[in-house]
Amino acid sequence: MANPSLEATVDPNLIAGFIAELGSDSSATVPLLQAIQTQYGYLPRTAMDLVVEQTEISGSQLYGVATFYAQFRLKPVGRHLIKVCHGTACHVTGADRINTSLHYQLNIQGEDEDTASNGSYTMVDVACIGCCSQAPLIVVDEEVHGNLNGAKAQKAVRMHARKAGEELPKAVKQSLKS
Amino acid sequence: MNAQGIEIIVGEGTCGIAAGSKEVIDIFKEQAPGAKVRSVSCAGMCHMEVITEVRDATGKSFMYGKVNKKGVAKILDFHLKGGAFPEELQIVSPQAPEHENSQYLARQTRIALRNVGQLDPTSIEEYQSRDGYKAIEKILREGLSQDQVIAEVKTAGIRGRGGAGFPTAVKWGFAKAQDSETKYLVCNGDEGDPGAFMDRSLLEGDPHNVIEGMLIAAYAFGANKGYAYIRAEYPLAVKNFGLAIEKAKKAGYLGENILGSKMSFELKIKEGAGAFVCGEETALLASIEGERGMPRLRPPFPAVKGLFGKPTIINNVETLSNLAWIINQGGEAYAAYGTEDSKGTKVFALAGAVKRGGLVEVPMGTTLREVIYDIGGGSSTDRPIKAIQLGGPSGGVIPAEVFDTPIEYAAINATGAIMGSGGMIVMDSKTCMVDLAKFFMEFNHLESCGKCTLCRIGTLRIRELLSKISEGKGAMEDLDILENLSKQVMSGSLCALGGTAPNPVLTTLRYFRSEYEAHINEKRCPAAVCKALISHVVIQADCTGCTLCEKACPTDAITGQPKVAHSYEIDMNKCINCSMCVEVCKPDCILVE
Ligand SMILES: Cc1cc2nc3c(=O)[nH]c(=O)nc-3n(C[C@H](O)[C@H](O)[C@H](O)COP(=O)(O)O)c2cc1C
Ligand code: FES
Repeated sequence: MANPSLEATVDPNLIAGFIAELGSDSSATVPLLQAIQTQYGYLPRTAMDLVVEQTEISGSQLYGVATFYAQFRLKPVGRHLIKVCHGTACHVTGADRINTSLHYQLNIQGEDEDTASNGSYTMVDVACIGCCSQAPLIVVDEEVHGNLNGAKAQKAVRMHARKAGEELPKAVKQSLKS
Repeated sequence: MNAQGIEIIVGEGTCGIAAGSKEVIDIFKEQAPGAKVRSVSCAGMCHMEVITEVRDATGKSFMYGKVNKKGVAKILDFHLKGGAFPEELQIVSPQAPEHENSQYLARQTRIALRNVGQLDPTSIEEYQSRDGYKAIEKILREGLSQDQVIAEVKTAGIRGRGGAGFPTAVKWGFAKAQDSETKYLVCNGDEGDPGAFMDRSLLEGDPHNVIEGMLIAAYAFGANKGYAYIRAEYPLAVKNFGLAIEKAKKAGYLGENILGSKMSFELKIKEGAGAFVCGEETALLASIEGERGMPRLRPPFPAVKGLFGKPTIINNVETLSNLAWIINQGGEAYAAYGTEDSKGTKVFALAGAVKRGGLVEVPMGTTLREVIYDIGGGSSTDRPIKAIQLGGPSGGVIPAEVFDTPIEYAAINATGAIMGSGGMIVMDSKTCMVDLAKFFMEFNHLESCGKCTLCRIGTLRIRELLSKISEGKGAMEDLDILENLSKQVMSGSLCALGGTAPNPVLTTLRYFRSEYEAHINEKRCPAAVCKALISHVVIQADCTGCTLCEKACPTDAITGQPKVAHSYEIDMNKCINCSMCVEVCKPDCILVE
């Protein structure tokens, strides 16, 4: 499951800074979670504990909100993020195939796993990125790539990896028949 | 080579960037020294990205599309060295004014979209030079009363563009009647329909127009605080809108005593966090307050008791983007477009199997056919268009037989679909209607906030039934169960998410029942999409033994002897029907049936 080496080390001063800037009442819940996630790529347990200690927000509210919104994740992420659009236009033009091809390329195995075995890339499904006329699309970190198919998506990730100095795991053929 | 006096303008919205606009700008700068190179927002002509306009020394304008490295060379060759005109790239130019590509823009009436692709969204001066902030200046300097503003918008007859279509002026009237020191105006930029992007384009491409629209609305019912709730998936919109707020504040359009008047309006951005239901107005308010975004029972309506208990109006981005135009040109000028039932124009996000996709703004009353064929150019594949999906997860499919339906609220509702926010996905015979219904029910199920039992569980049961049918395990009775359950979910849900969630199922059943029957009775998916009912076969006569399919296959299902023609075959026991092999096969010798 989650790769322990990807756990973030949380800096308490940083969290205190977020609280000072964004407030400590309940309307700051979403902005605080967003600030933490932007910093660490996910919501580390220690950061969440600090927020509960130092604000009026209760643990149940914080976790309630964090699990309600699709944007937040509680699991560590790889060094780079690939968003695969599964909006309507992308669905009818083959978004599923992009998932299959990138899972294979990044050697992501198992139903709940979403991170490459070497911690390089994490894949998440998102709804519409707002460029439907160029469907299907993926976003690698900040780069948007459109008019893809499975093979072109692999190429986009390969090019990104080269620029970012990442090594891709070795693709392993496996039985996926359920 | 002298590029002096020439202006080169490149479209840099999210779509432009996706298509490579940054590189194009760099090449222009390098190869046309002396020319003024600048960028503008996305023009909503997504099929033509990267878009570049060249204004030559005599002031003539040439607009080109699909510009890449080679395109830049051709364009500069024409403008600087007297080379041949690159006709294949042109969109609009004096060189070939009747060109097919020019029809996309020529047939539109752009009011909400009037500035996108025309100006640099980071410059308040450019907005001002196009009548920007004239409307709010007129209101405040000439001392128009709140009632006069409401009356003008009432004459315009505009109805909310966020989906529900409620008359904007009437809604403001409710909030104006409330006596409260604080009133809120919220701009709904959540744009949750996964297939619509007009609000993104407006927020990132013409943010000052949205701000001016907010000022007009705020003035009309007396709001002094505002939020713009923008989806997290739209980083460029958040950035450009934030910059626009800062500049508007400096210029005196936001803050205390705007333009020396008694009006004060404070505006902040709230970023959404990825929940479709948060587009629903009461859920959106809960989300701003820091709660899980769950809808609340109405009444009390937000206009009476909304954000933090204060009177609140929620307006959609596109609705707001029409207001400055309406005040400047007059309500009657707006109402001159459209039909008795629906006034003005509506923006659609055209995508899918259509030649010219992008943003299309047309007068109400235009037929679907005109949008799909005259503007969109028809099918982008060699297969005919079979239907469109309108209104996203709350909407429905409309088959080709009724493409002569005029675009107006009543006529669209009569088809079973809804106008919604305007996402229009074009589908050809390769889209399976059962799969599409399943896709939307999966979406609605995941996005149901869970408050109402029928919405939470009902959407799941419907999705399970659809899965069963798509796997060839359905029975004819299931279709009756689907219809019954759909009606129950619609009547037993608090908000319009559940209230409209089954629309995709009901409309596909209404128009494409035969596809459901083929899955059930013949265990066949006519569009060859549903994985359990299709198989991949190599036509060995055409196989060249190139090995590409073997490399692409994630499951080791396709094997043969490298470089030996006619040798590859697929092991059905391993094949997961992912079609990766089909994508890479050069001789196109893998059949899906
Ligand atoms: C599930 C659901 C999602 C919605 N999503 C949006 C949205 O993304 N954007 C929007 O403007 N309105 C959305 N609406 C409609 C809003 O509730 C509301 O009617 C609208 O924002 C009002 O603005 P208008 O009168 O200017 O259209 C949604 C409604 C529902 C039920
Ligand atoms: S559906 Fe993928 S970008 Fe809109």
